[in-house]
Parts: sequence; structure tokens; C-alpha cells
Amino acid sequence: MASYPHLMAPITLNKLTLRNRVVSTAHAEVYAEPGGLPGDRYIRYYEEKAKGGVGLAICGGSSPVSIDSPQGWWKSVNLSNDRIIDPLARLSETMHRHGAKIMIQATHMGRRNAFHGENWPHLMTPSGIREPVHRGNAKIIEIEEIKRIIKDFGVAARRVKAAGMDGIEISAAHQHLIDQFWSPRSNFRTDEWGGSLENRMRFGREVLSEVREAVGPDFVVGLRMCGDEFHEDGLDHETLKEIAHAMGETRLVDYISVVGSGADTHNTLANCMPPMALPPEPFVHLAAGIKSVVDIPVMHAQSIRDAGQAERLLAAGMIDLVGMTRAQIADPYMVEKIRDGREDEIKQCVGANYCIDRQYNGLDVLCVQNAATSREATMPHIITKSTGPRRKVVVVGGGPGGLEAARVARSRGHDVVLFERGDAVGGQINLAAKAPQREQMAGIVRWFDMETRRLGVDRRMGREATPEMILGEQPDIVVLATGGSSNMGQVPGWGFEEGLSVSSWDILSGKAEPGKNVLVYDVMSAHTGSGTADFLATRGSTVEIVTPDVKVADDVGGTTFPIFYRRLYALDVVMTPNYWLDRVYREGNKLIAVIRNEYTEGLEERSVDQVVIENGILPNDGLYWDLKERSVNFGQTDNATLFAAEPQPALSEDLSGDKFLLYRVGDCISQHNIHGAIYDALRLCKDF
Amino acid sequence: MQWVQIAITIVFWVAVATLAVGLIRRIRLWRNGRDAPVDWGGLLAIPRRYLVDIHHVVARDSYIANTHMAVAGGALAALALVAINYGLALYQPWLDWLTLAAAAVMLVGSYFIWARRRNPPARLSKGPWSRLPFTLAGFAAGVIGLMLVTLVPPSATTTMLALPLLLLLIAGSAELALGIGAGGPMKHAVAGLLHLGFHPRKQRFTGRSVDLRPLDLDAGDFGVGKPADFRWNQLLSFDACVQCGKCEAACPAFAAGQPLNPKKLIQDLVVGLASGSDAKFAGSPYPGIPIGEHAGAPDKAVVPFLIEPATLWSCTTCRACVEECPMLIEHVDAIIDLRRNLTLTTGELPGTASETLANLRETGTTGGHDVAARQHWAVDLDVKQAQPGTLVDVLLVVGEGAFDTRYQRTLRALVKSLKAAKIDFAVLGDSEFDTGDTARRLGDEATFQMLAQRNIANFARFQFRRIVTPDPHVLNSLKNDYPALGGHFAVLHHSTLLAQLAKSGQLQLGPTPDRRAVTYHDPCYLGRYNGEIDAPRDLLKAIGIEVREMERSGLRGRCCGGGGGAPLTDIPGRQRIPDIRIGDAKATGAAIVAVGCPQCTAMLEGVVGERPEVLDIAELVAQSLPVPA
Ligand SMILES: Cc1cc2nc3c(=O)[nH]c(=O)nc-3n(C[C@H](O)[C@H](O)[C@H](O)COP(=O)(O)O)c2cc1C
Ligand code: SF4
Ligand code: SF4
Ligand code: SF4
Repeated sequence: MASYPHLMAPITLNKLTLRNRVVSTAHAEVYAEPGGLPGDRYIRYYEEKAKGGVGLAICGGSSPVSIDSPQGWWKSVNLSNDRIIDPLARLSETMHRHGAKIMIQATHMGRRNAFHGENWPHLMTPSGIREPVHRGNAKIIEIEEIKRIIKDFGVAARRVKAAGMDGIEISAAHQHLIDQFWSPRSNFRTDEWGGSLENRMRFGREVLSEVREAVGPDFVVGLRMCGDEFHEDGLDHETLKEIAHAMGETRLVDYISVVGSGADTHNTLANCMPPMALPPEPFVHLAAGIKSVVDIPVMHAQSIRDAGQAERLLAAGMIDLVGMTRAQIADPYMVEKIRDGREDEIKQCVGANYCIDRQYNGLDVLCVQNAATSREATMPHIITKSTGPRRKVVVVGGGPGGLEAARVARSRGHDVVLFERGDAVGGQINLAAKAPQREQMAGIVRWFDMETRRLGVDRRMGREATPEMILGEQPDIVVLATGGSSNMGQVPGWGFEEGLSVSSWDILSGKAEPGKNVLVYDVMSAHTGSGTADFLATRGSTVEIVTPDVKVADDVGGTTFPIFYRRLYALDVVMTPNYWLDRVYREGNKLIAVIRNEYTEGLEERSVDQVVIENGILPNDGLYWDLKERSVNFGQTDNATLFAAEPQPALSEDLSGDKFLLYRVGDCISQHNIHGAIYDALRLCKDF
Repeated sequence: MQWVQIAITIVFWVAVATLAVGLIRRIRLWRNGRDAPVDWGGLLAIPRRYLVDIHHVVARDSYIANTHMAVAGGALAALALVAINYGLALYQPWLDWLTLAAAAVMLVGSYFIWARRRNPPARLSKGPWSRLPFTLAGFAAGVIGLMLVTLVPPSATTTMLALPLLLLLIAGSAELALGIGAGGPMKHAVAGLLHLGFHPRKQRFTGRSVDLRPLDLDAGDFGVGKPADFRWNQLLSFDACVQCGKCEAACPAFAAGQPLNPKKLIQDLVVGLASGSDAKFAGSPYPGIPIGEHAGAPDKAVVPFLIEPATLWSCTTCRACVEECPMLIEHVDAIIDLRRNLTLTTGELPGTASETLANLRETGTTGGHDVAARQHWAVDLDVKQAQPGTLVDVLLVVGEGAFDTRYQRTLRALVKSLKAAKIDFAVLGDSEFDTGDTARRLGDEATFQMLAQRNIANFARFQFRRIVTPDPHVLNSLKNDYPALGGHFAVLHHSTLLAQLAKSGQLQLGPTPDRRAVTYHDPCYLGRYNGEIDAPRDLLKAIGIEVREMERSGLRGRCCGGGGGAPLTDIPGRQRIPDIRIGDAKATGAAIVAVGCPQCTAMLEGVVGERPEVLDIAELVAQSLPVPA
């Protein structure tokens, strides 16, 4: 059994002893109830991490201390009034019951916000400079407001302490108000709050003393700060070391948490939650640099994904606490599995950033590969054995939906046969992982692959299942997860039948050789289209990507599209949004693509060697229609019970002899995404 | 026929004289040993010790028990009658009849000995032991014949038969009388009886006696370097060995093909005490070490001339040999005495043993950890740390297992149950030092005594009613080894406490949710050393588990290979002991091996390949706690 002596060693911050070095750092969960209060969902989400062994969870990413820092649009916890105390106390009590410690992040976001909604406040920032990512128009903050906000921090801290929490983390990272004062990008003041570094640090310093004053000497106060803004005109690492040193010397904080990268442009923001394209732990050197100038513990998160890596960083003395935040979004039982030597069972975060990309759209944070996360009230992370009859379950299709169905049904104690026509499981994810910088998508499959093997799913690979094969297994339940196929026939003018165009899958799978001069037509604006363009350009093709959407990769989230753009621009891919592809025809040895502007109806032609089309998929439903009439439930899933997370009523039918139930999950019904397929399977199969 | 009667009287007295001379010679050899208090009263206890204690062991094999009873009983009775009737020249015919009857019983017994020896198990020694049924039968036949000759009216036939019968009697008497002086098999009878009287651990006749004798290091007592360093009654005990090989058959190290055979070890010590080589040894050798290359004498170093160090370092101190020995010989004491000398005078230990001893001296932990880290496992469990001046009911001494992430699962489970039973308990914060058990078993008495003093002084700072520990090595050390150094504590194994709590209802347990079949492995230091074989089984029963017993279980359980520092000295064999033990477990068809010891957990979990899951009793119990509403 591998051991992780540094990772599992307790550490004491101020008077607070943590059971290990693993932290879930502050993240905006987008689960708070109206008014910014943690409710059942919120508490259960954290409780699961506590049960799973986390040492310290810092909840409430960017919880505002003042009423003029809006939180409603992303449902964050609101520390600006006393109503927060009781719900937070419930959270504290819950976490403590499982041996975990709980803190909360408190902040004022300044200009980093959206002004519209709720109270329609006028956002404030040191010098009135607009924040581009959130379109944060803001006024110049006045001294009265500065003083008031400092007081707000103190009052909020008192609430946190009253709720029995273990500490408070003040955010001076990701360009919130404190680091808006620090940064020469956003502070051009000439009064005592601007100018010299000392003056620029004044606001943060006063916030810390106010907070310390409010909570007393024994309560943990942490500071989260940037290690390098990565902007010419921003804070560089040396300056931030100076700031860190000064903040440490105030003796007001008990630890410093370091984040690599600024966050006030789309491109820097993408670094903050490093997507799979970035190497592991890309910014730990910044944390180590800060550690070299302070004498308090240093925490760092950012793509520390596995125990070995975490242990190595701690053992090397680079940091004292490891944030493994998305890692525990993907698997809240990560720590327990590390501790018990079951590392192979950990569902490892792959950095797909489905979680954060939803957050930036104001949607609740969900994990691309774990449908139970944040649905703890209804969806189990740990599947328990059924006490009902042991059944024979046949799952058809080894993509994410089928794998999850097989895993869950098997964990329920049933005999499960999984048919997959390919030689490996993974389905469409295997194609998605072919795009450059998207290889780690394969990590999702790897876990399912290992789990289904470990659990003893009877996997039949390499042969397409027929109705006879399925019924030959004498199933009680059949779950179809047969996915879909490229939807190329929708517009006859694309000439797919005539061989004038190929699908994105043809390119990614290697079925079609990349052409020299290629037009990629991306109807979906999701990862596949841009990934295909990148794939082609990387192999030397000259590529133009055309989409009817308002921008290329429009449906790729805020921390992922910048990665595509970094690559597409660097590879001179021409991006042409707002155009439809009407027709493709051959002229000599060239293909002519006729595209039409959405807004002018003007037609343009492109002369290319290859037209590649990404138009999503059509469900593979042949088996369904073959089996539907023979099944007891006529293939119907009862939505009322499915949505209520209750057992399907048909499960109580008599399934003796040849009788069986038929269900479908994922893309073979209609196109969803990976999370959708997994969620379909989990909610259906958890009650088998 | 009077001349026959007179002849018998003469043979009798000659035999007695021979025996006496032999005995004096042998006593001289024993007296080469160090002094030990002579407990003359013990001699009076011989019959009881013979009939109760020895019989208790021998009765496990009823065939040999009955046979031995017949032969020895018959022989003793016949000898006593001859002594009266012929020794004192009474020549009473009715006594002759009785003598005849006794000899007949002996003859029947001899037949059965012979029958068993036709196909002897490998553990039995051959050589002179193979002739024994014949010489004994000869003696019995001689006595029977001669009695008949004296009883029937003299005739030509009786005259003709008398002489050969007398020769038979002389031959048989030679086996009996010369045995002791010449070191023949019958030496065991006299040495065995005397050993019963002067046994070095007379406490074992009134209870369990497993504590090791503390060395007086200041007086320069560094254990046993040469045979003469043993105490005289230990030397006597070696002479009692009947080479039955029960110890060999029980020894896990022998089974694993490591160079140890407890029977050979005792015989080597006999060779050492009487001077000579092991060439005549007619049993199984130490695996891998040929016979005939070692010799000894009372004043010659045992290691390496008589015994190789690897032999001593193979022992797990499991006491299976002691448990099996019908002659109540204390092999482990001998091995520890020899190890002590090696460690204290040469400091040469194989494998990682030296490093471990250094760790113990420097850090108070075998693994070289920071003592303060020992309670890290409990950081999130809200477990009290003992405070001077505040009384707690239970002081939980967690042992070295607390540093191991696997074993921490057991500790967490235990805490869960203790809390469920509302036990007032505390752990030692940063002052739980190793008990020194491993050091002691490795012969490093100095380190052991240092740690023991340190712990005793530390315990004195706290107020508690009893110590509970999940580690049987800790249990044994504190309970049995510390008293001699002034530490007197009430110490319980966690299974004992949990079983009491379950019984009294203070710990409410439901049926186990895990329906898989379970077998239970008795840790040597819990079972054989401390007699606790019931509590774990009672607990399992209380949660609805019916234990599928392994063939070797309870007091006769087979060691996991983890004791006595054996995993540290790591002497290679053909096989690993834990593999053998997992084989035993598999044979029951169980899917879970329940254990009650961190060492067993680690050893059995270290077995690679398909194997039952290893779970501590505490884990199984915690799984059966009712789920809080
Ligand atoms: C959904 C999501 C929301 C986040 N919101 C915040 C936030 O409000 N405040 C903050 O300081 N960090 C926030 N973070 C950043 C995380 O604390 C962490 O630094 C980041 O996820 C990198 O660590 P990881 O690779 O271990 O996930 C967020 C991260 C995620 C995934
Ligand atoms: S959605 Fe992706 S990035 Fe987010 S936690 Fe899950 S695997 Fe990790
Ligand atoms: S104590 Fe155990 S290992 Fe040692 S000799 Fe005896 S039986 Fe063998
Ligand atoms: S030591 Fe005991 S068990 Fe071993 S052979 Fe001798 S008498 Fe038998």
C-alpha cells in the first residue's frame, strides 16, 4: 500500500488542527437558496466531502460581505446579513460531525460583477476601470464607501464566527476588490489608497485588521491571493511576493493561499481552473515562491489531481496544504480512497471544466463525469446493494451512459452483461479525446473501464448486439445506451451522400484523411467542431471554421473556449461566425462551399479540398424499435418517477420467463452530453 | 527356582547401581549450568504435574496417551513390585502375579508403540528411538517369562528357558538403566520426572506463565552464550525431550522451510550440554542446514559452532512448540536467552532488525516516526488526550499500528464502538512510546528496559482505571513483562472489553450487514500468550457470525509470521509463513479472516493474489453498530 505521510499528516492553523493536508478550496457552488442561504442541497454537497475525508473545506466561493456586491445571479452565499448565521451553523455542525473543518471565503467583488439584477447597484472599483469578463462597469469608490466596506468585512466575520465555523478566508485573488486596489491595472488613485505599493495595500491591510479585531486572536483567518497576474501592466510575481511578505508580517493571517494567474480577461481566467490542456500543477512554483517569503503555511490548488502528486509537492516543501478542489467535485470520497489504499477507485478530475463553465453561466456546478455531485439528496455516490430480487441486466453500448448503467446495476448486486460493438469501451468520448489538448477526456473512460472490470461486469466486446443476442441472455431489464451517429443527412445540399463532405467523426476517427485546404462547418459550436478544426490545422491543413452561431465555440464554456482560441489563432485558422453552409458542389478538382450570411443573406463561395461538417448526432435507435413491442413497459421510462428520483413503477412488474423491461439512456434518445448520459443512467439504475 | 530369584535380585541391584552412576554423571552435567533456586517442594508435586499437566498435553493424541500410559504405567508398577519383591528378597508369589500383570500391560503397550512406529510421521526421530519398542517389549517379556518360571513348578523346560529370559531382562534393564548415563532414549523418564519437579517456570502449573526473565544488565548478565550459561534446570529440561517432534510439526518457521526446527534446537542443546556433535541426530534437520557439521561443549559458544544465527532469528516466538511439548520444555526461553547474548554482545542482527532497534532507542517507535504523530489518526475523531490530574476509565494504548494507514481503519472502528458504548477513554498525546516488546524479543534487553522505565514513568503521570489496547504485543508486554520492572496495570485487549460491553448490553450490536463467511485467526500473543480465545469469538457470535474454524485455531492456532521481530530479521525459507496461514483460511472457504492484531493484519494483508479479506474484529463490530437515526 502506498503511503502518503505528508498528505495525511495533520496540520494546525492557529488553534485549528486539520486531520490532513487536503483542502477543498473556495468555489462558487451556485447552490444557495434565494437570499444566499445554504440549504439542504448545499449542506449535503459539503457533507459528502466531509464523509469522504477532506481535511478542510472552504465553502462559499466569493461570498459577498456587502449588499452592493451582487450574488443573486450566481446564487452564492450571502454574508451581508444576519440571516446567514443559522444555516451556516447547520453546515458547521454537519461538517464537524464527520471530522472535517469548515471555513468560508468572504469578499467584495468590486467591479468583477454584473450590475443588472436584484438591487441594480452601481459597482465600485478603485479607479472606475471596467472589468471586461463580467462587463463590469463601475464607479470610482469613495472613501466613505471604503470605510463602510471595511466595516462590512468585520461584521461578516463576526457572523461566520457566530455560526461555529472554523475560520474565514479573505479573497484577494481573481481580481476582487482587495486586489483591484493592489493591482496597477485597476488602481490609479492618487490619494492614500493608491500610488505607492504601501498605499495600494492599505485597503487589504485594514480589512484584515478589522476582521481580526472582529474574530479575536484564536480564529483562523486566511488570505487568498494571486501569485502572478500574467499581465504586462499587472502585478508580477516579485511584487506579489512583497505583498505576501507584508501580509504575513501583519501577523493577522494564519495562512496564505496562492492562485496562479489574474482573472480579469477571458484568457487569464482560463488559467485559474487549469483546463486539461495545461500541464499538471502549472503554477505551483508561484506558491513556492511565496512560501519562500512568509513564515505561515501556504496553500495551493490548481490541477493537483492525484495523491502521489500532492505528496510529492508537500514532501518537497513547496507548499503546506494542497487544494484538490475539482478533484473532490469529481470524487468527494477521494481522501478516504487514498487513505485506504483504494487509489484505483478514485474518479479523477480530468479538467474538462464542465463545473466551472456552468458556474460562469450562472448555472449550478455539476461534474461532467459524476452525476451524484450536488445531488446527494437523491443520487448516491456510494451505491449500496439492492435488497430486492437479483436481476439479469443487459446493457447495450459502452459509452458513458452504458458504462454508468452497467456500473450502477452491478453495484446493486445484479448480474450485468454489457455489449459493446467496438473493441474498447468509451463510445464518443474516445473520439472527443482524439482532438489536440483533449486527450485527457480519456480519463473519464479509464475510470469506468477499471470500475466495470473490478465490479465484475460481464463485458462482451467487439460484436454488435442483435435482438437475439440480447434476448438470449434472458434479461429482466435491458438498458439501451447505443448513442448516435453523425447527423449528415439533414441538409441534402451538403452532399454527404455524394461524398462531397465528411463528418467531424470521420476526421477524428482517422476514417478520412485531412485535406489540404479545409472548411469546417460547425453547427453545434461545442467542443467537437473547434476540436476538429484544431486537429486538422495541427496536421498541416489550412482551415477556415464557419458557424451560424455568433462566435466560434459559442457553446464551449468560459474557461475552455480561450484554450481553443489560443490554438486556432496560433494556427491561423480563419474564424467565420454568422454563416450558414447551403451547398457544396464540385468544380474541377476543387469543392465549392456556398455559405450564406445570417444577417445579410449575402452568399459567398469558398474553394477548398475538403468540407468537414459537425452537425451533432442522430440517435441509434434501431434496437429500440426492434425490442420495444416485446418489452413489458413498451420501452417507456416513467418521467414522473425518474425526475423525482424514485424507482420506476414497472420494476414491480412480474418479469418471469421471457418478460423484460426496456429502457434507454443518453444520446440514443436524443443528443445530450456526457453528464446527461451518465445522469440518465444513474437515476434510472440506482433503484434496480 | 531359587537361583532365578536371586539372579533377578542381582540384576535389579546392578541396574539400580548403574542408574545411580549414570544419574550422578548427568547431574554433574546439569550442574555446569548457572544456579537457580532449587524448589524441593516441586518434587512432591511431580505426580500431580505428571497426571494433570502432562496428561493435558498428551491426551490430545489419545493413541499415544493410552500407549504411554500402558508402557510407563506397566513398567513403573512392574519395577516397583520387583523392587519390593526382589530388591528386598521377599520372593512372594502373589507379588509375582501382580508383577506379571503389570509387565503384560507394558508388553501390550510396547506392541502399540511398535505398531505406530512401523509408519512413523516425519516429526518422530528414528535412531535409538526405533529400537525402543523392542527393548521395552523384551524387558516386559523377560519379566513375564521369569515370573512364570518362578511360579510354575521347576522343570527341565523352565530351567532351559530361565537363562534366555534372564538375558532378555538384562537387555531390557540396560535400556532403562543405561539410558540416563549414556544418554539413551530412556533418559527422558528420569530427566522428565526431575524436570517436572524443578521446572524453570513453576508458575505454569498454577496459571499462565509467559513473562520473560529480566536480565540484570548491571551484573553483566547478557543471556546465554554457551550451554553452561543456561540455568541448571534449563539444561535438565532439555534432557527431558522425547524427540516426539510435536514442536516441529507445530513450528511455522519449520513449515515455511526456514532453518529452524525446535526439536533439533533442543537436541542441539543436549549435545552442547553433554559435549559432542549433532551427527547422531536422527530427526528432521534445520531446513537447509546439513547434519553433522556442528558440535558443542558446555563451555563452547553455541553460535555459530552448534547453532547458526539464522536458526535463532527464524523464530516468531509464537510458542506453538511450547504449547505442544508433552515434556513441558520452554523452547522460546532458550531462544530468547541465546538471542540476548547475540544482540547484547555482538549487536549483529540480520535484515532491518538493527535499524529497528536504533529507531526504538532514538524515537520510541519501531518505524522511526515522530512519537507525536502516533495520534494523528485520531485528529478528526474528537478523542480525548489524557491529562495529568484527570481520571479516565480507559487509557487507549494504540501501538505502532497507529502509524499505518491501513490499521488506522481498525482504530477508527474501535473508537466508534467505544463511543457507542459511552466509554470514558483517552489516548496519550505525544507520549505513547513503544512498549519495547520487539526489542525484548530481539534480545535487546537494554532497549526494552529503557523503554519500559520510560513508559512506567509516563503512565504514572496519568490517572486511569485500565489500559485497553488492540495490539496483543502491547497487551502482553504491559501485562506480563512490565510487572517485573515495577509496572502493574490492568490491561485488556480490545476484544475482551468489547465482548464484556456487548454482553452487559452497554454496547448494542445488530447483526452484521456483511453476510460473507468468516474465519478467525488467533494472534499468538492474544491466544497462546494470554489465553484470550473466547472474547473474539463471543463478539463475532454476538453479531451473528458463525466462525468457520481453521484446523489450527485457538490455543493451537498457527502463527501469522509476525511475532518476535521475525518480519524484521526476515530469514528466507521456501515459503512465507503468512502464505501458509492464508492457505489455512482459504481451506475453510471463508471470504473474511477476522484478526485482532495489527501485526497479523499486516502479515496476512501482505499476501498477494486471491485471498480472503482481512478485517479486525473491531471493524466487524463497528459495521454492526446500529445506524444512528
Ligand atoms: C466551479 C468553481 C468555482 C470557483 N469559484 C471560486 C471562487 O469563488 N473563489 C475562489 O477563490 N476560487 C474559486 N474557484 C477556484 C478554486 O478554488 C480552485 O482554485 C481551482 O478550482 C483550482 O484548483 P483545482 O485544480 O484543485 O480545482 C472556483 C473553482 C471552480 C471549479
Ligand atoms: S466537471 Fe470536469 S473539471 Fe469539473 S470536476 Fe468534473 S471532471 Fe473535473
Ligand atoms: S516459538 Fe514458534 S517459531 Fe519459534 S520455535 Fe517455537 S513454534 Fe517455532
Ligand atoms: S521439545 Fe518437546 S515437543 Fe519437541 S520433540 Fe522434544 S519433547 Fe517433543
